[in-house]
Amino acid sequence: MSDIVLKEVSKSFGAVSVLDKVSMHIQSGEFIVFLGPSGCGKSTLLRMIAGLEDVTEGEIHLGGRRVDQLPPNERGVAMVFQNYALYPHMTVRDNMSFGLQNVGTPKPEIIRRVDDAARMLEITQLLERKPAQLSGGQRQRVAIGRAIVRDPKAFLLDEPLSNLDAGLRVRTRLELAQLHNRIRATMIFVTHDQTEAMTLATRIVVMNNRRIEQIGTPMEIYSRPATRFVAGFVGSPAMSFLPVTAVSDVGGKAAFSFAGQTPVTTSVPFAGLPTSSLTFGIRAEAALVDPNGAIEGVADVVERLGERSLIYTRLADGSTLVAEDNGVSTVQAGDPVRIAIDGNAAMVFDDAGKAYHAAA
Amino acid sequence: MSVADSRNPAVDASGTATAQRKLRAFDIGGLILTLITLVFAIIWAFPIYWGVITSLKPESQVISKTVELLPRTWTFDAYWEVFANTMIGRWYVNSLVTSLGVTAITLVTSALTAYALSQLRFPGRTVLWYLILASFMVPLTALIVNHFILMAQLSLINTWMGVILPQLIHPVVIIVYKNFFDSVPKEYREAAKMDSASEWRIFSRIYLPMNWGVTTALAIVTFIGAWNAFLWPFLAVSKPDMMNVAVGITQVNDAFGVHYARDLAAAILAALLVALLYLVFQRRVTQAIMLSAGVKG
Repeated sequence: MSDIVLKEVSKSFGAVSVLDKVSMHIQSGEFIVFLGPSGCGKSTLLRMIAGLEDVTEGEIHLGGRRVDQLPPNERGVAMVFQNYALYPHMTVRDNMSFGLQNVGTPKPEIIRRVDDAARMLEITQLLERKPAQLSGGQRQRVAIGRAIVRDPKAFLLDEPLSNLDAGLRVRTRLELAQLHNRIRATMIFVTHDQTEAMTLATRIVVMNNRRIEQIGTPMEIYSRPATRFVAGFVGSPAMSFLPVTAVSDVGGKAAFSFAGQTPVTTSVPFAGLPTSSLTFGIRAEAALVDPNGAIEGVADVVERLGERSLIYTRLADGSTLVAEDNGVSTVQAGDPVRIAIDGNAAMVFDDAGKAYHAAA
Repeated sequence: MSVADSRNPAVDASGTATAQRKLRAFDIGGLILTLITLVFAIIWAFPIYWGVITSLKPESQVISKTVELLPRTWTFDAYWEVFANTMIGRWYVNSLVTSLGVTAITLVTSALTAYALSQLRFPGRTVLWYLILASFMVPLTALIVNHFILMAQLSLINTWMGVILPQLIHPVVIIVYKNFFDSVPKEYREAAKMDSASEWRIFSRIYLPMNWGVTTALAIVTFIGAWNAFLWPFLAVSKPDMMNVAVGITQVNDAFGVHYARDLAAAILAALLVALLYLVFQRRVTQAIMLSAGVKG
């Protein structure tokens, strides 16, 4: 009903291209997160949906209507800015009423809508204050409130949590998820923080270098990344990448050899796999310290996180494999360690970065 | 929260104590500086003081062989004479009307021009901006003949409008406004755009109120400038009843010969309003500019 459809949307500032033929279909009510490193074009894409940036090429449709040539206010979207952009000389109530006043909404209606939104966001007691008298978290709520009163088809949020301190960010993240559950509006959220993306999104759009790397649910993005970039960008600690020296067929499955190590058999099908320039990818939780493990190396750094320990292990070929051990790990930096790899969770990437996974 | 509260006063107290110790250590240097400042202040203020007390002397005591720092006889005679024998009331009205007119029209037109230059994209914008910057370098005196001929052709000599119109050219007001509008973060404008605000609403409800401080400051400066203007009002008006105060007081001198107490009384009356205005708003102007600057943070 209020689906957002992007068709080969491109953007360039003069000769500099910042987005290259981006297409996606966002279902009504989804919580979509644009995730990517700084400068990947995610904010620009959001601003193009908002109407704050022109579309150089391509089409944007919102609720079945082409909107890319319409001014921002005619698109039926509301935006929450990174620095909130609350008008400093107006009270919270005036800030929230401003948009409704501009379109000539009757006064009693404005008061009712502002009061409703304030109650939902628990900011009723702040309505007569000025933004300067509010804390960061309160300003954040007011900024969302200003968007809610307009009853938009979609909420566009541009890194809205980045100005909050760590504790507040976690709490606001939770509240945002609850808010989305309650109002069921389409939300597009831009962030470079993978935790925010993983916890909030119904689907994540991972972007890098002007284009979309992958669109998928948080678990798809995490477990079955489409490219090496996605695999490395999402997850903490980052996935370990090991250069593969040879690949062999073990009953239809691929077994990978590494310099100076026992080969590791995985669930990745051998058929269709390139035979050279492969990189093996494994997450720490699938690489456990085990005296009988296939991989051997020397512990470089041991990070104790309480419930688990991360062992940064240097292998014979010079690459680093991050392995996991239990919280009370006895491994010390400098110790030789053996690591067992869970072949079901392993993946490989060809030299173009394309991922090969175990059959789903 | 309570921990922070209980700690803060202690920090403040020790901070003040350090400051006081430092003050004591620099006492001698400070004293010398204060004395030097005082000397300059006296040099600057003495003529004003002398003018005020002379205006409060009887005309017969103004010229004497000794320096009399205070009048032997205090009297307001000079002031009564100015009120009774000149049109100072009328001149005050003329000054008020023309100065307020200049201030109001200058601020409205300059703010709108600056907003357009700062926020709108239209062909010729850069050229217009450079023209305004260039006109900043042309003094009023260079154009005064043109102004006079133009006003004469429009039959505006000896009218309020004739006094006001040429004084409306204040590129500096546009420049200051533009700089302040430029420094408003663009998110406010974008948020307002998303909020369906028209350009007029963005200007009048967002940009102008966010720069209220600079408006106050510019208003006071423009008003004082217009009130003290002499050359153009002197040329544009020949009828005594259309003169402003600054021009009018020169007429006091010419019409009745040299009477120092009376002339000074007229001069003080002319300066009084502006002096009071400045005294009252001095803090506000500074504060206001700082407030406007705070918008940027």
